[in-house]
Amino acid sequence: MKMNAYALSDEEIRIIHNDSLQILEEVGVRIPVEKALELLEAGGAKIDWEKKNVSIPREMVAKALDITPKEFTLGARNPEFDFAMPSSYTAFTLDGAGANVIDYRTGKRREAVLQDVADAARVFEEVELGKVLWSPVVPYDVPGGPCGILNTATSFMNSSKHVQDEVKTLDEVQYVIEIAKAILGSEEEVIKRKIYSATYCTVAPLCHDEEMLEATMELTKYKAPVLILPMPACGSTGPASLYSNIAVANAEALSAITVFQLMTPGTPLIFGAALGIINMRNGIFLEGAMETALQLSAMGQMGKYYGMPTIIAGCLTDAKELGMQADIEKVMTCLPLVLGGVDAVNGAGLIESSMTMSFEQMLIDGEIGLMCNRMSAGIEVSDEKNFFMDIKEVGPGGHFLKRKNTRTAVRSSEFFTPELANRSTYSEWLKLGSPSMFSEAHKKVEKILSGELKNPLSPSTEKVIKEIMEEAKAKLR
Amino acid sequence: MADLYDEMRNSVLEGDEELAIELAEKVLTEKGNAMMAMNEGFLNGIQEAGRLFEEGEYFLPDLIFAADALKSALRVLDSELKKNEGESVKSKKIVLATVQGDIHDIGKTIVGTMMTANGYEVHDLGADVKNEEIIRAVKEIKPEIVGLSALLTTTMEEQKNIITMLEEEGIRNTVKVIVGGAPVNQNWADKIKADGYSDNAISAVKLADELTA
Repeated sequence: MKMNAYALSDEEIRIIHNDSLQILEEVGVRIPVEKALELLEAGGAKIDWEKKNVSIPREMVAKALDITPKEFTLGARNPEFDFAMPSSYTAFTLDGAGANVIDYRTGKRREAVLQDVADAARVFEEVELGKVLWSPVVPYDVPGGPCGILNTATSFMNSSKHVQDEVKTLDEVQYVIEIAKAILGSEEEVIKRKIYSATYCTVAPLCHDEEMLEATMELTKYKAPVLILPMPACGSTGPASLYSNIAVANAEALSAITVFQLMTPGTPLIFGAALGIINMRNGIFLEGAMETALQLSAMGQMGKYYGMPTIIAGCLTDAKELGMQADIEKVMTCLPLVLGGVDAVNGAGLIESSMTMSFEQMLIDGEIGLMCNRMSAGIEVSDEKNFFMDIKEVGPGGHFLKRKNTRTAVRSSEFFTPELANRSTYSEWLKLGSPSMFSEAHKKVEKILSGELKNPLSPSTEKVIKEIMEEAKAKLR
Repeated sequence: MADLYDEMRNSVLEGDEELAIELAEKVLTEKGNAMMAMNEGFLNGIQEAGRLFEEGEYFLPDLIFAADALKSALRVLDSELKKNEGESVKSKKIVLATVQGDIHDIGKTIVGTMMTANGYEVHDLGADVKNEEIIRAVKEIKPEIVGLSALLTTTMEEQKNIITMLEEEGIRNTVKVIVGGAPVNQNWADKIKADGYSDNAISAVKLADELTA
C-alpha cells in the first residue's frame, strides 16, 4: 500500500469542520468589499455594514462547497507540464514574496532583483516535480506599482510551466489577462487552458484584504484558479492551541470559498494553507516548526475532506543559511504532507521563513520532494512483485543479481536514485572531489544558467509581453 | 505603604489588569500620592517584567499582559498625575503605525508593548493608516519618534513616501523615523533616509533609546 500519515482522525476532521462553521456563524469574518457583502447578503448572510462583519450561515458554506470543482488542470505554456489535480503524486510549487537571494555566484545574501525572478524561473524549469511557478521574490530594482506584472511577465518569459502569482489591485487583473492572451491567442483559450492562477491570502484572524479581494474576485471572471492561503499564527494572530488555530484557518478558507463561489459560481479554487506558530520571544513566524508541520498536514486533510485540490505550504525552514537546520526542517515539514497525499507543496527554494531564495536549495528541495514521493509510494505487495520463483530458483546461498526481475527492477520505480545525494564508496567520492549535495546543486545551477533558455516564447509573443511590461511601468503606480 | 507599592508592582508584573485598576482607584479615593504610586509601584512592575523578558523567563504574552495592566493604572491616575506634571519625569513619546495598504498589525503592536514596558508614551495609530493621518499625528502629538511598520514588499514604499511628506511639511527634523517589518532591512532604511531600523521589538527599544539619548 501507499505509506500514509495523517494528523487528524475522520472524527476530528468533522469536529474541526463544525468548529469552523460555528466561527463563521457566531463570530463572522470582516470583508471590506461592498460587492462581496452585497453578494453575501443576497445569499442569506447577516451583515454588520458598519463593521463590515459577516456572519455566514452553514447552509451557504455547504452550497459553495457543493459547486466548487473537484478536479481541474493547471495548464502550462508547454502542455507537457500541465498539472492535473487531484494528482497521484505530490508536486512542488515555488513559494512567493521573499525579499532576498543568496547569490549563487558569491554565496552572499543580498536584496533580490528582477533578474533573480528570471533566473529562478529557469532553474525551476528543470525541477522534475516543479509544476507551479510563483515568482519567489519581490525585486527591489523595480517600482512597487508594476512590480507584480513585471514578475508575472518575467516568469512566463523564462519558464514554460504554470505561473501563479498574486493580483494585488484591480488594475493588475487586465494586465495579467493580456499577458495570458498574448501567449494563448484568445480570451476563450485563457479561460480554458488556465496557464495563470492567483494566490489569495486571508488576513488572520478572520479578515480579508480589501484590494486583494476585489482584484481576485475580478480574476475569477476568467475562471483563473485561486489558491486560498489562510495563515493564522498560533498564539498571536490565532488562538494558542493547534486545534483551534486550524479551525480559524479553515473558517477563513471557507469564507473565501463562499465569496468566490458567489462571485463566479463553479470557479476553480485550490485549498491551501500557510498557518503556523510564532517564536514567543520575538514574534517571528516559525515555518520550520513541528507544530507548523502538524497544522499544515491537518489543513491538507481538511482540503481533501472538501474534495478540493490541495496545495499546502511545506518544505519550509527558519534557518538563515543553507545546511543542516534548513534541510532537517524542510524534510520534516514536507514528508507529512506528501504522506498525506496533498497535490502540491509550496515552499521550495526559500529559507529564512520564506524571506530568502537560494537556487541551490531549490534543487535540493526538488530532491527532498522526490525522496518523500518515493516514501509515499510505499511497498507494493502484488502478484507482479511477488518474486517467489526467484527465491525458489536461487535457493539458500545464491544471489539475485543474475535474475531477469532484478535487471528490470533496477530501471523501475521500485528503486529511486537521487541525483544530488552521494552514494559512492569513500574512495570514489574522494576521486570525484568530495562532492556535497550543495556543491552538486551549485554545479547544476551554473550549468542551467549558463546554458540556453529552454522552451522560449516566440519572438513575436515576447515582443507583445515586453510592450505590456512597458505599459505597466508607465501606468501602474 | 511599602506593602501597597509591592501590590501595585505585582499587579503589573502578573498582568492583573483588574487589580491594577483597583489599586490605582484606591490611590484616588484615599487621596494618596499618584506620582509615588507610579514610581514606587506600577513602574517597578513593568521594569521587572522587562528584566524577566531579557532573562528568558517572560514571553511576549507576559509582556502584553504587564503593559496593559500598566496602561490601565495610568489611565486611572492620568488626571491626577497631570496636576503634578512639574515634578514628573516626562516620558518620551512615540507614534506607531502600520502604513497604508497594509493591515498587518501584530509586529507593530509588539513593538508598542515593548516601548510601553520601557517607559515610552506610545500612541498606536493602528494598521492601514493613511499617510496624511501619520503626518497629522506627528504635528499634533509632537513625538520624539515615529515608527513605521510594513509587512509587505509592496507597502514598504509608503515608509519612503511618509519620510518625503515629513520633509515637504518641514517637520522632518523634529522627529526620528524608525522602520521595521519582515521585508525591511538596514539597506532600505539607509536608502529612504530613515533614522533607524530594527528587526525585532527588543532592539527597537534600544534603537529608540539611542536615538533619543
